[in-house]
Amino acid sequence: MANQNSDKPGWWALLRRPSAKYSLLGIMVAGFFGGILFWGGFNTGMEATNTMTFCISCHEMRDNVYKEYQYTIHYSNRTGVRATCSDCHVPKDWTHKIIRKVQASYEIWGKITGKIDTPEKFEANRMAMAEREWARMKASDSIECRNCHNFDAMSQELQKKIPYKKHMEAKAAGQTCIDCHQGIAHKLPKGFKKPGTEEEE
Amino acid sequence: MKQLPATLATAVVAMVFSTSALATIDVEAAKDLTQQNNCMQCHGVKKDKDGPSFLKTAERLRGKAGAEEEVLKHLTSGKKIKLADGSTEEHKIVKTIPPKDMAQMKNLAKYILSIQP
Repeated sequence: MANQNSDKPGWWALLRRPSAKYSLLGIMVAGFFGGILFWGGFNTGMEATNTMTFCISCHEMRDNVYKEYQYTIHYSNRTGVRATCSDCHVPKDWTHKIIRKVQASYEIWGKITGKIDTPEKFEANRMAMAEREWARMKASDSIECRNCHNFDAMSQELQKKIPYKKHMEAKAAGQTCIDCHQGIAHKLPKGFKKPGTEEEE
Repeated sequence: MKQLPATLATAVVAMVFSTSALATIDVEAAKDLTQQNNCMQCHGVKKDKDGPSFLKTAERLRGKAGAEEEVLKHLTSGKKIKLADGSTEEHKIVKTIPPKDMAQMKNLAKYILSIQP
């Protein structure tokens, strides 16, 4: 009501009013380039959160999982191919990536409340965190692993016999990478037993 | 009879040493290392899989001179192993965090040799 008595129209009225000054083409062109800038900025910002530098900017990652990962084949190997944090923990396609990023925003709450801010707290929560991540990978048929690894691309000649046999058995049984390869780039939680390896003791 | 105290002392020392040797095995750490390295995909503790059970290795080597070194060679050198079909391939080299930590390797070797029926 105040707007009606005022000389200046309200924001909503301003947005709804047809432009008397700019052509439709001008508005469309400006909107087009503005859209590109917005979208580019948004994606660049999101990609920045996919870098290893970003991931290890928190000591919780840098002092625990990152340290362990540095000793594994996904960090350093004969051929010089490196899988960084996001290569394994963030899906590549846009929709799943956005969903994962939204889920990951809950980790900020963990950071604020200091849920894993000491090595002891990290170890105490390692099993829960690992199981959550394994369940996510299992549900997606280990989609991040499969960006690089594929049963059909495994060479019978080049792969060692026993691993090849196990891989083909796994393929026939409809298993996925994470069914066997837990802890491939990080320490396993203490006391964890891989399925099928529990022994009569 | 004069030798009796000396014999007893030797026996006591031997018992203390063997007990302390047993006590130095960190079984949980050894089991965690077997899980980390997927050992149990090919070896059972008491069950033969593609590879012999830990028990079979223990029974083959236990009490022999250089038993621990023999197991360590398997764990660390990629020694050739014979498969069921008669062919050979290199045994996986066990990885530790930090790398090549002989204390962890020795603990695992001792654990394997300690398996009882």
